[in-house]
Amino acid sequence: MSGAPVLSVRSLTRHYATGAGLVRALDGVSLDVAAGELVGIFGPSGSGKSTFLMLAGLLENPTSGEVWLAGERVSHAGADLDALREIRRKRIGFVFQKANLIPFLSAVENVALGLEIADVTPADARVHGRRLLAALDLAHRADSLPAKLSGGEQQRVAVARALANAPPLILADEPTAALDRVRGRQVMEIFRRIAATRGAAVVVITHDPRSTNLFDRIVHFEDGRVCERPQIY
Amino acid sequence: MNLALKDTLHAPARFALTTLGVAFLVMAVIGMIGLYRGIVEDALLIIDRIDADLWVVQGERAGPFAEGSAVAADMDRRVEGVPGVADVRRFTQFSQQFSFAGAPRRATVTGVDVPRDNGRWLSLAEGRWLGGSRYEAVADASTGLKVDDRIQLARDVYTVVGLTRRMVDSAGDGLLFVGINDAAVIARRRTSEEIHLARAAGTGAGVVSADASSVAQDSKISAVLVRLDPAADTARVIATLQRWGDVRVMTTGEQRDLMLNARLWKLRLQILTFTGMILVITAIVVSLIVYTMTIEKLHVIALLKLMGARESVVVRLIGQQAALIGIAGYALAVALAWMIFPFFPRRVVMLPPDLAQIALALALVCAAAAWVGITRASRVEAREVLS
Repeated sequence: MSGAPVLSVRSLTRHYATGAGLVRALDGVSLDVAAGELVGIFGPSGSGKSTFLMLAGLLENPTSGEVWLAGERVSHAGADLDALREIRRKRIGFVFQKANLIPFLSAVENVALGLEIADVTPADARVHGRRLLAALDLAHRADSLPAKLSGGEQQRVAVARALANAPPLILADEPTAALDRVRGRQVMEIFRRIAATRGAAVVVITHDPRSTNLFDRIVHFEDGRVCERPQIY
Repeated sequence: MNLALKDTLHAPARFALTTLGVAFLVMAVIGMIGLYRGIVEDALLIIDRIDADLWVVQGERAGPFAEGSAVAADMDRRVEGVPGVADVRRFTQFSQQFSFAGAPRRATVTGVDVPRDNGRWLSLAEGRWLGGSRYEAVADASTGLKVDDRIQLARDVYTVVGLTRRMVDSAGDGLLFVGINDAAVIARRRTSEEIHLARAAGTGAGVVSADASSVAQDSKISAVLVRLDPAADTARVIATLQRWGDVRVMTTGEQRDLMLNARLWKLRLQILTFTGMILVITAIVVSLIVYTMTIEKLHVIALLKLMGARESVVVRLIGQQAALIGIAGYALAVALAWMIFPFFPRRVVMLPPDLAQIALALALVCAAAAWVGITRASRVEAREVLS
């Protein structure tokens, strides 16, 4: 780990009440991710990986515990989720299993949208969007609609969109699940590059064992807790 | 970037069809209101234009439009002598069927008192006004007649010497202006059998002509139109005339009131009711369209929220799309109305204030629809992207 923690979660807990009783989706997880670090979160289904991403991504409040970004406590049990939008806009980039591109916007517009939302002028946003797409070898697809892009291209556009505001934290949820081995590896290499060259903290939730050698650190989740076993699924 | 516009342009055919649907609804509203205006305008055409201060009609009757009216043919001379009266004109009006070019036609024969009535109150589209001679007619173009056409009315042939446009009665039948004496002859038309019977019953009072009626025809005109001297006391003139007992005197305002609130009341109410219904239907349909468009975009809205977009971005997306549908639908509706309504059998009058009010109503409908969509969108949470 190098540098100060970009993301710190402290005793993060998320319980859901169901008909069958209380479900402990996340149960007292504490974790730090530093700038420039690529962390892989592994674990079986239902181990709490996605819940962790929801809480760390400020999409849901924890039942207890805290989320800190760059030394600032941003989320806790009583946090106002609506007020956290600005923090998400400026400090967190998301990549998901599905690219989730807006179907009526071209690739460059999808990337530029994140910037325009952050009050960058449309012209500047587009220039920056093209630059990012070029960096991900997608310059020739910049004006294509998502429907015209392959799955791998769509996912790279999604990565470019996540990078648009140069967030210090990137959270990725199964970003290679819908890709073949080669393209999955390409995407993981992009994350590796982002962490190394941009100094972003990148947290990747994955089942995919093929790219484990690219991670700086691997954290294993099981039953809502961080498991100390070094074994990877 | 304008997300609403981008989304709209992404599916132009769908937007066009949606807009067309809204346009037809709005056009129906424009049409109903225009039809109402047209009927009112047509009904008041003569009353408003004929330049009369008073209408002297049959006593105890509200003629000649709301009820039948018959006054003596020489009533104009009696009225003319009343102090304060500047001039008088005889007037009659009745529906008439006739044949032309082998087809049955309808017109409302309007007897005007030429040469005293010089036609100053109407504008001719073609030809000339009635001259002093008999058997001339000025027809409205809606009757299908043209200048120099010859038509048989009663037992005489009339030559069309002039044409008007948009001069119809409250039922939409085109007006056919003839001299008052000709109108009396047309009104008195009898069958040959009637003439024979009248001759057989004759008591040596001379030859019964085809013009003579087999029924009592003491009153052969509907009304006497009166213009007052500028300095005349209207109430005093009315009181003087009504003291005669055999006439009723009505002002132009009373004639308007009778026409609108007696003769046309049910029709007006029905049209306005239908207009209200179409407005409600338009509101429901536009709301459903905007709501459905919002539902279809919930994932995009969730994504925008995930990216940290302010609520105003979502509000603009939904609001602008509702506005686009409203503006495009309204513009298309007005354009279609201008193109289509002139071919309708009844006049559809599109007045700028009415169009402005319809635009305002549509704006309110779109705003309400957008509000419904925005309310739904506000319940979307960013994490729904993952679902």
